[in-house]
Formats: sequence, C-alpha cells, structure tokens
Amino acid sequence: MMRNILVLLFNDLSIAFKNKTFFLILFIPLFIFVSLNLIDGSKAEADKIKIGLVQDEAYAPKLTSSIKAAGKLMEITWVQHEAEGVRLLKEHKIDGMLSKDEKVPSRLALLVLKRESLHTIAIVQSFSALQKAAEGRDPDWIAAVNSLHEGGIQRQTLPTWILMLVLLIGFIILPAQIAEEKEKKLLLALLQTPIHEVQWLIAKLLLGMILIISAILLLHLLGQFGPVNFLDYMAFIVVGSFCFSAYGVCLGFLCRNQASARTLGVIFYLPHLLPSAMSDVSEKLTAIAPFLPSYQLYQPLQAILLEDGKLANMSFDWIYLFLLGLLMFYLSYLLMKKRWLM
Amino acid sequence: MQLEIHNIAKRYDQNRGLAPTSFNVVKGELIAIVGHNGAGKSTLLKMLASWIVPDGGTVMIDGIDLKNRAAIVRKVGFIPEDPNLFDFFSVEYNLKLFAMLNQIPFLRVEAILDEFNLLPFRKTKVQALSKGLKQRVNIGRALLSDPPLLILDEPTSGLDFEMTKEIYRLLNSMHDAGKTIIFTSHRPEEIKNLATRIMVLHQGSLIFDGLPGAYFQSEIHEKLYA
Repeated sequence: MMRNILVLLFNDLSIAFKNKTFFLILFIPLFIFVSLNLIDGSKAEADKIKIGLVQDEAYAPKLTSSIKAAGKLMEITWVQHEAEGVRLLKEHKIDGMLSKDEKVPSRLALLVLKRESLHTIAIVQSFSALQKAAEGRDPDWIAAVNSLHEGGIQRQTLPTWILMLVLLIGFIILPAQIAEEKEKKLLLALLQTPIHEVQWLIAKLLLGMILIISAILLLHLLGQFGPVNFLDYMAFIVVGSFCFSAYGVCLGFLCRNQASARTLGVIFYLPHLLPSAMSDVSEKLTAIAPFLPSYQLYQPLQAILLEDGKLANMSFDWIYLFLLGLLMFYLSYLLMKKRWLM
Repeated sequence: MQLEIHNIAKRYDQNRGLAPTSFNVVKGELIAIVGHNGAGKSTLLKMLASWIVPDGGTVMIDGIDLKNRAAIVRKVGFIPEDPNLFDFFSVEYNLKLFAMLNQIPFLRVEAILDEFNLLPFRKTKVQALSKGLKQRVNIGRALLSDPPLLILDEPTSGLDFEMTKEIYRLLNSMHDAGKTIIFTSHRPEEIKNLATRIMVLHQGSLIFDGLPGAYFQSEIHEKLYA
C-alpha cells in the first residue's frame, strides 16, 4: 500500500515541478516577505512623529516650543498651505497636520490618514503627554497601552498570510490539478492499475500538505520568527493542511475541467479568507467568521503566534478541522467510486 | 467463455446510452463494434474498462466479476480513442510509472519499447510525439501487464495511412499471440480486414451480431454507410 502511495506522490510532486506549481508556492512567501520588509523600512523612519504645521496659522507659542522640545519624539514640517499638508500626508512624508478647527476656531484639529489606526492613537497620546507636561498637570490615568498581540506588523499579519496560503493551495491549486487529471483521463488511466482509490486520494492529500507546509516553512525561514509553542503550532498546521487539502480534493471531484475548478475554487476561497482574516476589524465579521472552517484554523494560529496560546485550550478547533477533513476525504472517495464527472 | 455480459446497461438521457445488452465472447476472438456516433459503442467499452459504472447487469471476465476492480485490471487492457498519457514526461517515464503501479519489472518496459519500435523515442516527452506514436505508447502501456483481453476505442481515428497500417500490424500480432480483442471502428475496410466477428449497435441497442461475411451482405451494413 505504502509503495503505491509513494509512487503516486512522487508523480504528483514531479507534475507540480513541471507545471511550475511548486515555484508559485515558493514565490508567494518570498513576495510576502519582501512586501513586509518594505513596510518595516518605512515604519522605522516613522518612529519619530512628523507633524505638519501651516506657516500662516497662528499656533500657540507653548505648542510649538513643546513640540520642538520633544525633538526625540516629534519633528515639525512647515507647509505653506493646507493643500500642501494634505499632499505630504498622502505621500506618507508627514504623519499628521495641525490646523484650525472649523467648528471651534480657537482650538486645533489633527488631520491624519486613518482615524482608527494605531499610529493615530500614538500621535494623540504623544500630544496629550506634551500638553500635560506643558501645563504642569498630573500625568494620564493610563500610563501605557499594552497590546494583546505582540510583535511587529510582520508577526501580527502572519496568521492572515498562513491562512491565505492554506486556502490558496486547498481551494485553487489542488482542485485544478485534480480536474486536469480528470479532464485528460489520467486518473482513469491510473485506475486501470491495481491501485486502490484510497491510495490515490492519500497521495493527493499528502501533495497538498507538502505544498502547504513547504510554503509556511519558507515564510518562517524568511521572516525568522518561530512560535513559542512549536509542537502546538505544528499540530494546527498539520491538521489545517489535512483539512483544507481534503476539502480541495473534494472540490476537484465536483468539477469536470480545470476552468470550472478555478471558478469553484475562487467561490470558496474568498468567503473563507475574508471574514476570518478581517474578523479583527469588524464586530459583524467576528460574529459570522466562527461558522467558517477557516476561522477554526485562523483563530488558533493567531492565539499561538501572537498570544502564546496552547493546543490544550483549542482542542475543539483541532478536532473540528480533523473531522471535517475526514468527512471531505470520505465524500471524495464516494465521488471517485461513482466516477463522478469523469 | 472469456467474457460473459448479461443485461449491462447505461442510460444518460432518453436517447443516449446503452439499453440492456447481453453477449458472450470466446477467447481469441477479434470483435469489431460498429455503429453511428452516439450508438453506445464507447459506453459499452468504457463500462468493460471500469471507466463508467453500469446502471445494471453483470459482467464476468474469466469468471471474475467486473466489480472486483483490483483483479479485473490485470485481465483488461483499455486503449481509449485519445491517448491519455502524462504529456510533461518522457515515453520511458510513462511506461515505468505504470510498470511500478502494476508491480511489473522494468525489463518488461524495455521489451515493450523494443516491440513497439519506441526505443528512439524513449527520452522524448509525450507532448512532442505525433498522435500515432502516442497511440503506440498507449497500446504498449496497456500491454505492460500482458492482459488477455484488449479493448480499443477507435484505435486508428485521426491517424495517417502509415500509422494506421502500423496499428493493424500490432492488432494482428496481438491476435496471433492469442489475445481477445474488441474494438470500435467507423472504417469498413478496417472491419473487413481485422474482425472475426461484428456487432452493430444502433441507438443503444445491439441489432446485429455475426460473422463479417453475413454483415457485409446484410441490409444493416448498407443502411449504416448509405
């Protein structure tokens, strides 16, 4: 039994090399890494908050002198008019601009790119601290803001990238490869040999799992970040790759050709990716996402990578993914036995 | 009796497929199945090759039920109309892959390459071969496990004169070696030259089963090629 599985797996991996699937799998983590590095580069420069002040505006002398005094924290960029400030803001050359508040002319308004961003909170915090120091008032009630999710943007977005890779291979690459084998009658040719249907299915599952784990491994190697609870993390990566590979194999059996497999793949890919990956920024999505299998992978990955979570606290998610994978495997077997759309 | 078919049927919709059909095949026969497109020829062959699951009926090959796929695949070699090979890989890779899955030593691959004049093309990628050469590789692959029953779906479709003659030569040599062969065809000269028995399917039903002489003198042949 093992011999046939290994022969089929070797053949599948050879096809993955020949049709460049393997290179695509390696390119995606590389692309993510390069993009994240570019983000980090601009963030390092942005450690000092750059505030735009309009030259013609009459700012309180206490304000400008306080900002100048906090030279390690803030830097003033003088702009000729508000339009220039807006342009610099859009070009990320300044982080915010202080101008006259339209509703209360005696006070100032802070113009930023995104009101809800963490960077805006940091600017407001810094101004609050400066104002209190300048007025000699007591310090803030809140001394510091600690984040539940530790690490830089690379680490914080890691669960999203991993989910994207798992779903991409599971829903787009695997179904297309299976549909191609069906379309070219290669699967039927293989079934003219004494191999069992289950052996073919296991080889395809292993192919999916190898592609997923290779991509994730490369992402970790490039980013040089490892989880604290390595075994717990691997347990979820293995069960997640198993579940979504089985899901992908099943989708492949529902399609007659590659074109329909790609369409069906995208139909499944986006609804699984977006609600889970965006659940952090939306209350409604947070309510919907737990109904998706992708969230049962995303949420534990987030907990393990960003909060040092443990498998023991997430056994429901692990069992859920495992059982769903088994169900999909069984459905694929039934479709294969019926020679569905072959 | 090598092949016993009893009420095998497959229905796709009201006008297509194969109505319940029964016949027997004796070892060493070379049977041509004739009929218009959509008559049910390929459906019948694909059911015998386990490509399609029949709606009903039984098929026994050398006393083994068709449902016992693992045992049946060693008894039947199926060659579809369009060669289904791994295009990315060489002729040798394709044959060795199937030899491994059939648990056949690689010496047999060498013998097939030699027998089918494929030695000059052993390292050539299948996608670079002509249809005739692909069909030769396909027949060679089907013969790796030396099955006693060969089923060919329009084996000379789309081939030039030389390649067609080559396929005839191969079929005759396999028949001389004692193999039972069933093939479908649209070419009267092919049927005349090769077949020892002819079966005619029309709209999913078997309407003629007899010797070539009787077939070519019958009205059925005239109607079929009118």
